[in-house]
Amino acid sequence: MVDLATILAGFADAFTLWNLAFVLFGVVLGQFVGAVPGIGPVMAMAIAIPFTFGLDPLPAIAFLVGVNKGGLVGGAVPAVLMNTPGTPDAAATAMDGYPLARAGKPLKATKMALFSSVTGDTFSDIVLITVSAPLAILALRMGPVEIFALMIFAFSVLSGLIGNSLIKGIIAAALGLLCASIGSDPENYTPRLIFGYFELFDGLPLPSVAIGMLAISEILRRLSQIRGDMRGAIELHDTGNPDDRRVTWAEYWGCRFTMLRGAVIGTILGALPGIGSTAAAFMSYASAKTTSKEPETFGKGNLHGIAAAESANSAVVGSNLIPLLTLGIPGSVGAALIISAFMIHGIQPGPLLFQDQGRLIYGLFGAMIMANLLNLWVGQLGLRFWVKVVSAPESIIFASALLLCIVGVSMATGGIFGVAIMLIFAGLGYLMTSFGFSVVIFIIAFFLGPRFEISLSQSLALMNGDWSKLVNYPIALALLALSMVSLIWFLSRTQSDDLPPETSIEE
Amino acid sequence: MTLTTKLTGLLAGAVMALATAATAADWKPSGTLRLQIGFGAGGSTDTMGRVIAKVMKEQTGWNIIAENKTGGGGVAMFTGISKMPPKGNVIGMGVNMPIMINLVKRGDQLPFDLDSFDYLGTVAHAQLALVASADAPFDDIAGMVEYAKANDGLPIAFSAAPQKFLMSAVDKEAGAGFRYVSTKGGAENMKLILGGQVLAGFGSGEHLQYLESGDVKMIASANDSRHNYAPDTQTVREAGYDVYVDPYFFFATTAGTDPEALAALTKALSDAIASDEVAEVVKNATQTEALNLGPDTTKQMLVDGVENVRVLFAD
Repeated sequence: MVDLATILAGFADAFTLWNLAFVLFGVVLGQFVGAVPGIGPVMAMAIAIPFTFGLDPLPAIAFLVGVNKGGLVGGAVPAVLMNTPGTPDAAATAMDGYPLARAGKPLKATKMALFSSVTGDTFSDIVLITVSAPLAILALRMGPVEIFALMIFAFSVLSGLIGNSLIKGIIAAALGLLCASIGSDPENYTPRLIFGYFELFDGLPLPSVAIGMLAISEILRRLSQIRGDMRGAIELHDTGNPDDRRVTWAEYWGCRFTMLRGAVIGTILGALPGIGSTAAAFMSYASAKTTSKEPETFGKGNLHGIAAAESANSAVVGSNLIPLLTLGIPGSVGAALIISAFMIHGIQPGPLLFQDQGRLIYGLFGAMIMANLLNLWVGQLGLRFWVKVVSAPESIIFASALLLCIVGVSMATGGIFGVAIMLIFAGLGYLMTSFGFSVVIFIIAFFLGPRFEISLSQSLALMNGDWSKLVNYPIALALLALSMVSLIWFLSRTQSDDLPPETSIEE
Repeated sequence: MTLTTKLTGLLAGAVMALATAATAADWKPSGTLRLQIGFGAGGSTDTMGRVIAKVMKEQTGWNIIAENKTGGGGVAMFTGISKMPPKGNVIGMGVNMPIMINLVKRGDQLPFDLDSFDYLGTVAHAQLALVASADAPFDDIAGMVEYAKANDGLPIAFSAAPQKFLMSAVDKEAGAGFRYVSTKGGAENMKLILGGQVLAGFGSGEHLQYLESGDVKMIASANDSRHNYAPDTQTVREAGYDVYVDPYFFFATTAGTDPEALAALTKALSDAIASDEVAEVVKNATQTEALNLGPDTTKQMLVDGVENVRVLFAD
């Protein structure tokens, strides 16, 4: 165990003006690249890493952590203001954020996203700093079979997102899983459905699919609605009520349980590598909706919806560092880049890290706390700026967003091939939305698909193909039983909520 | 135009003229030189590649950018490079094993072969180890095979095709009944070993900390030679199974590039690899020393390697 002197020395190392400047720079950069559609914090981090070589490890890693955390807050901005999320986890934020922004309360919506993001992030950072060691041991016990059962459970909770047509929901999910199977199979590396394009060997490029489906298809839809009159991309109504431009304490406090649940879901999923923030954001959203007294207001600008999504997806980032620091397993591309920054400085994450580099790790924790506070402060200033930007005429906003998405995806995927994939999925997303299929369900299935498949393959290899061996895995059995219960409960709730009884007979 | 801008322009012109005069004999890329990395952002190949690009840029003054071209462990990237005009404005960085295995397994579907490229050198040689949980009831390959036979098979964690082929070759000969648990990387292999879900798995550096902490023990080197940190541990080949994998990180460009350009690129790369900064990053990323085989030996390494893969891993 690390002694108190090391912990204090670490924190003392972190709280210097020099480090503060790096974290601040990181947070500002992260919020900016996160908010610009198409460009994300991952790319900014990848470009910055070689230049951190000349720095000491602490400011270098503090800077990258700042970019990562800033990107989380920034990512909610285009989702809320323009309904064009750049990442699938922000799509959950858009579900209620955008309706609220359309109702003339863009500042309220983005501020709620900011506050709940920082709340969720801080919660998981505290968990990371205080109990990462026991949590890491717990995570080790979650083997492939347990993870597989957990994913089944996640899917059962996510069924709460299926709207009023079960069939269309299942079709969207199946299509997502089909697209997830493009690429090489995880057991023998045989290419599937690649039609001679070796670029597809590792699967469809994730940024292309996410940005194409979520952002470009929405931009296309909005462009098709322009009728020649100059309108702002977002209408700002000055109601004269200052409460429409801020989040009151009562509103924030009213969301405390929603945020807590989101933070807990995010922290748990973040500590288990591979499942990620998309599942966390949507699981939190689905459970907030189903347990709400007024589920019909979700999707129409309910603050709880924003709070649920943002607290969960931000909580993932803090607890993602648990497997990263204790085992060296990255839970996301952002985390993989932080490992590579450690590597550049000759530090190997793993069991000896706290022992050998305790002071650096507590310095990193100190930097994370600074980044959270700065995120709040920079966010408060930045959001006004973004709301102003987005109130520019939509002909300008959407054209620039389109351009930025194309540039961003071509940079992230290393060329024009990724852009072509993005445009194909933009078309698919446009059609799916037009015919009433949920793009969100497609995206969730697509993002969870590969991990689901590899968990299934791992479980089969471990159990030698014999499902009766499941009795040796009590946690997995419990999770599977829980999945059955929640599936029935969620489906019965959504069906009875969304369908008036007389139409349900024809359906 | 103000006087200042005119003056600046003149000055810049003069500097550029001088610079051109000084290096007129030397070749330089006509535009931006692209260092394409065949793997995604955030792995050891990416880390080394980006630092090499940065050092090369500082040393040569050329405009160099590093970019990730993922797909099939470098197959997608080399497909692209093989189709480019040989202008010397692109360098591909990849790992030999996935390229060689794909050439052997589906060479007819690939638009390139080994002659599609001019080779520039290597930066490092990765050491791949088969490790097991410290309390596993065996210490070497022979013991592992015995244990698997006695216990209805044995799950092994692997994170890339060569590792599976290697163990299947052993299994074919020994009839041990290995089962293969596919993962997303060496760190996940270690997680499964530490969590007790599998007894053995592969590590290419991720295992070193756990060796030191005593959580795992090394069963064998998967390379053709023993590892520098474990000189007493046998290779799989020494254990009596005539198979090995020898991963190298190498550089190549389109075949038919002007010899002058090739010489300049080769020199720029080897200068960068010889720098302290790259040496340190290579050490940190792969736990081995930087190793540049040079153009001719790199090509020979690939030619021999394909033959090795063809003989050993053919089904």
